[in-house]
Amino acid sequence: MRKSLLGLVCLMLTSAVNAHQLKAAITTVLFNDRTNNIEVMHRFYLHDAEHAVSHLFKKSPGRHNHADLISDKETQDTFSNYVEKQFKLETLTNKKLQLNSVGHQLDGQFFWVYQEIKVPDSVKGFRMSHGALRDLWPAQVNMVNVEGKGKVKTLTFSGEDIWLETKFEDK
Amino acid sequence: MSNKVSLIAAAIMLPLTMSVNASAINQTKGDFEDKFRQLGQALPTPNVYRNAAGEPGAQYWQQKVDYKIKATLDEKKRRLTAHQSISYKNNSPDTLKYLWLQLDQNIFKSDSIAELTSTVRTKLQSSPDKGKAKISLNKLRRQQFMADTELGYEIAKVKDSSGNALKATVVGTLMRVDLKKPLKPGKSLKFSMDFAFNIAEEDAVGARAGYEHFEKDGNDIFLLAQWFPRLAAYTDYEAWTNKAFLGSGEFTLEFGNYDVELTVPADHIVSATGELENASRVLTKAQRQRLEKAETSKRPVFIVTEEEALENEKEGTSKTKTWKFTAEKVRDFAWASSRKFIWDAKGYQQGGDEQPLVMAMSFFPVDGGDLWKKYSTESIVHTMEVYSRFSFDYPYPVAQSVNGPVGGMEYPMITFNGPRTELHDDGTRTYTQAEKRFLIGVVIHEVGHIYFPMIVNSDERQWTWMDEGLNSFLDGIAGREWDPTIPWGVEARDIVPYMKSERQVPIMTQSDSILNFGRNAYAKPAVALNILREVILGRELFDFAFKEYAQRWKYKRPTPSDFFRTMEEASGVDLDWFWRGWFYSTDHVDISIDRVYKLRLDTKNPDIDYARLREAELNKPISQFVERNKAEGRDLWIDKNQDISDFYDDNDRFTVTNKERNSYNKFLKGLKPWERKTLERAVKEDKNYYVLEFSNLGGLVMPILLQLTYTDGTVEDKYIPAEIWRRSPKKVQKLIVTDKNKELKDISVDASWLTADIDVENNYYPRRIIPSRIEVYKSKKNKGKVNRDIMKDIKTEIKKNEDKKEKPLTEDKK
Repeated sequence: MRKSLLGLVCLMLTSAVNAHQLKAAITTVLFNDRTNNIEVMHRFYLHDAEHAVSHLFKKSPGRHNHADLISDKETQDTFSNYVEKQFKLETLTNKKLQLNSVGHQLDGQFFWVYQEIKVPDSVKGFRMSHGALRDLWPAQVNMVNVEGKGKVKTLTFSGEDIWLETKFEDK
Repeated sequence: MSNKVSLIAAAIMLPLTMSVNASAINQTKGDFEDKFRQLGQALPTPNVYRNAAGEPGAQYWQQKVDYKIKATLDEKKRRLTAHQSISYKNNSPDTLKYLWLQLDQNIFKSDSIAELTSTVRTKLQSSPDKGKAKISLNKLRRQQFMADTELGYEIAKVKDSSGNALKATVVGTLMRVDLKKPLKPGKSLKFSMDFAFNIAEEDAVGARAGYEHFEKDGNDIFLLAQWFPRLAAYTDYEAWTNKAFLGSGEFTLEFGNYDVELTVPADHIVSATGELENASRVLTKAQRQRLEKAETSKRPVFIVTEEEALENEKEGTSKTKTWKFTAEKVRDFAWASSRKFIWDAKGYQQGGDEQPLVMAMSFFPVDGGDLWKKYSTESIVHTMEVYSRFSFDYPYPVAQSVNGPVGGMEYPMITFNGPRTELHDDGTRTYTQAEKRFLIGVVIHEVGHIYFPMIVNSDERQWTWMDEGLNSFLDGIAGREWDPTIPWGVEARDIVPYMKSERQVPIMTQSDSILNFGRNAYAKPAVALNILREVILGRELFDFAFKEYAQRWKYKRPTPSDFFRTMEEASGVDLDWFWRGWFYSTDHVDISIDRVYKLRLDTKNPDIDYARLREAELNKPISQFVERNKAEGRDLWIDKNQDISDFYDDNDRFTVTNKERNSYNKFLKGLKPWERKTLERAVKEDKNYYVLEFSNLGGLVMPILLQLTYTDGTVEDKYIPAEIWRRSPKKVQKLIVTDKNKELKDISVDASWLTADIDVENNYYPRRIIPSRIEVYKSKKNKGKVNRDIMKDIKTEIKKNEDKKEKPLTEDKK
């Protein structure tokens, strides 16, 4: 038997089985031919995101600010930074692709976080890690659509998934 | 737009030969796919129990199960002990030798299917730089709680009405009780049992009920649901619905009457399915008076105020009180109990004969704060107002919303809802706008479930969409009638990323096997129904058919085919293609407008046609060669030698001679009178003929929502029914004829984003550049006002003149 290290994902919020289903985020990773960028667009339910920040705030004692994603800039920034840290992109050969942050946006019932990077030479696929909110509540499912490289490729992060991989078809 | 002039015959001949083979099930030649094949083969055969209209048939039946339960809550041990006696009426045409009961508490047993098949998905990597595999503290907490607490039912003394022991066999989350004597059709029997279980800590195990402990004051909120062994449904379509409880597929149960006595600590307030029978024993005189006042009050009246609740939670008691509830025609019974509860109520005077007055009530700890005081009970009333319009009057005496550890869950007459306020250091409580939206949304959603599936009793264990999809669709309607500026779900555009993804299963998938639960069983069916209402049927037809469905199946048990058939039969519109596409397949909508040709009618009259040909020739770009020669000043031979010329210098190749005119006259003579008349009129009108070429890239056939913009600035919307795809599901052409001076400038498909079309770029002709979200964001950044933090900025004090002078002149270039 191979011995592996078992690490802890720290404290989570409550995880109720909801008849009111949220806890699902969608990310689009788009190869944009016009800009020659890989654009990463994360879409979260506002309410999920806000609860995440209220948990993050609690971790830094002495804060008085309560999470309010609609009207508080600090909440928005905290959440964006958190998401950017939780989303990782690598080439198939484990080369890290450092995404630049573009900004974030409220749109209806969603909160969007944007990142981008120049399309690297001869990228044949991705390794990807998307831990946002999944370290906070286990029911969270993050789905990623990779678009602009042939047929849409979908990766779904749930349970204990850490790194998933997708290869592109030759164009 | 391809400005291609070509000839179309005076009469456009459509080949009308059809080879429809309706009886064939498999298309085995070519790649044609009949997207409009009738669902007949896929639906169960209509019978005397469920007819072809989607209605309960002439011999529709369902079982009736009545319960008498006496339960005691041991607060210290967090344990429930109870005795129940059950009356079972066999209305089926079958003789039953045994009965099946659902033991949902057994899902927490270590040997349950749910526990044994719970999986981890972790990629253990051998190299150390890949990091550690991870386990969450939540998972550990759950494991520890389950190791420390004996969970699941203890059942004893299963006896018939004469006191004889009945053989009971537990099969996971189910129990079979063998009868002494087979139960014949139309006969009833009574049996009883004792049961007990340790209540799970909701936050630890994650469930639809359980207790929540408050460290600060040492009290608990108890939410009790799926708490007694319940008869599994016996149905005409599946016999015993004894599929194990795995967690996702909820419950399908029988209607019956309940008589329940709940013994709890004397200082607890209890909210339960049903009407309180002994108010004089368990409530104070003041509380009863307040309840009476609430019946006609405009705003909720506190039955237990915040101050009283805070006082109540200070010290416990060893005394008990027994609350008695009765409920009629319900399929389940749930309750909540705590000394922490604030309680408010408001009468909803809905009128009608069945239930003119409904008491809308909320129960919440101080954590609910103003959010609950203002909006919970009002949301309950609003839900009933809207849902009843789409179905039937709310038929029960109470509708309740209880705050506890469960995010959102529904039972007859009672719902559990999670949102709360936040306590600040200065003792005040606030909540964000997102939390407010969530509370209103979740209360509407859960109270809505009292209609679907608690009254329209669909089988949740098999088909989650029948309650969650229908209910999400309706909560979107109720939400928009609350405040349309709040972004409620059900917008087609919101499911586009899901619809284009590769990880999908059809909506018609058994609950426990669904991937992407929320999107598959909630959002997609809700959006589909919204499209059906707003785009395909229109509100009048849809609402009529939907209400028909609700009324037909009130207190009865519909299956998907009953819904599909009713919607079709009552609207008078064939919707098989719609159910096939949205519910039975994983196709998505992607309609592309590929090309547009502009055509002009050939008049056959050489004096007209030859002139047009000449004009077309002249309209062609001049040869670059000739242009450059001209620019270089090259003299032409014909210019230098103008004294030499002939016939062809004056007559080009488009010159009409009598030869052509004679042939034209002969052609006219050969026409039948109607042909000549038609041609003459067409020539006179000289209309524009546009051929629009569409492809269906997503596979899902849908109506084409065309928007035509003309050069004169007018815009015209055209609806082409989905049936356009029936003979050619991948590519179709459509002829659009416009008046001579009405020229098309551009065309769009689904310009209002109503159909969840996943690719907007191919919806325009001519094509437009559709910027990505990031491109739009970058271009709008700083221009829009959405980024302003108005709530913070509004607190800014106005600067006086002297402040201005004092301000140091440093420039902040962040």
